[in-house]
Amino acid sequence: MWLMVLFCLVIGLFIGYQLPILLPVAVVKYVSIGVLAALDSVFGGIRAYMEDSFDNTIFISGFFTNSLLAAGFAYLGDRLGLELYLAAVVVFGVRLFQNLGIIRRYLLKKY
Amino acid sequence: MRSTNGKISIMAICLLVGIMLSVQFRTSESYGPNLRDTRVDELVLKNSSLNEEKNALSQEVVSLREKLTNVDSGNKLTTDLQEELRKSNMAAGLIPVSGPGIIVTLDDSPRALQPGGNPNDLLVHDEDILKIVNEMKASGAEAISINDERITAMSEIRCAGTTILVNWNKIAPPFVIKASGDPQLLESGLSIRGGYLEQLKSFGLQTQLVRNDKIDIPAYNGALKFQYTTPKQSN
Repeated sequence: MWLMVLFCLVIGLFIGYQLPILLPVAVVKYVSIGVLAALDSVFGGIRAYMEDSFDNTIFISGFFTNSLLAAGFAYLGDRLGLELYLAAVVVFGVRLFQNLGIIRRYLLKKY
Repeated sequence: MRSTNGKISIMAICLLVGIMLSVQFRTSESYGPNLRDTRVDELVLKNSSLNEEKNALSQEVVSLREKLTNVDSGNKLTTDLQEELRKSNMAAGLIPVSGPGIIVTLDDSPRALQPGGNPNDLLVHDEDILKIVNEMKASGAEAISINDERITAMSEIRCAGTTILVNWNKIAPPFVIKASGDPQLLESGLSIRGGYLEQLKSFGLQTQLVRNDKIDIPAYNGALKFQYTTPKQSN
């Protein structure tokens, strides 16, 4: 199963490299925050899956709302002259590492 | 085991994240790493100032065209005046000129800053340029430009923070100072023993003096403002 997940990620990377689209400079910063939020959601989902508390609706809605909210806040912060994107980076970064730690512990217990 | 729905959605989202990641990678790569934070602000500022300049220039074109038609209509009567005007324009730096002269290039020292050293010792300062220009004037230069900024009677050469302003435009090293005039006189005036150029060289700055038979010096392209000054009526 995890091999399949990894495989999907690799396929996604490949498709992205083949796509002829480039983002405009103005949105690069916001999209990168969105990507961070999306990564956080994915690891959160994997963790929940391992803890048997996975909920499809929560996962899908969390993925989209988190990335959109993070990008939106970064944009709002820029309009306000406030570095709000730092908040998103810190929060999602911390959660990412926590989730990774839990996944690692789970895998260690399993094997 | 657990729901296959969950597996499928995790896979689908992973696919999406992969696409987002690689598009983001490619975008950041194609724009280069330095165009992200500070460069963008600087370029935006530059863009707006260039736009302003462009608008001013287009207005100038209109007024110049009007003047041109006026001049053409009274052509024969104004030949003498035109000659006079050309001379005045040349003196004021309002038309591009060309002729024999020299090109002096100044650049910051290539040496790395030593611990405890003063970074100011390695840089070209406004004073250095000012003194070189002064030396050129003393050696019979007829027209001078620094990095394509024509030196007029009202041009400043002034340090502003980390840059040097000439005609209120920022210029950056290497500084190419062109002067038209008698090349021999200019060259000997600048490379005089113990002169300022030699001093700069001894400080470790990169200096270069080249004689050239044809030097193009651009016109002063800023606005002429006489807000407080009016010609005195003598008669």
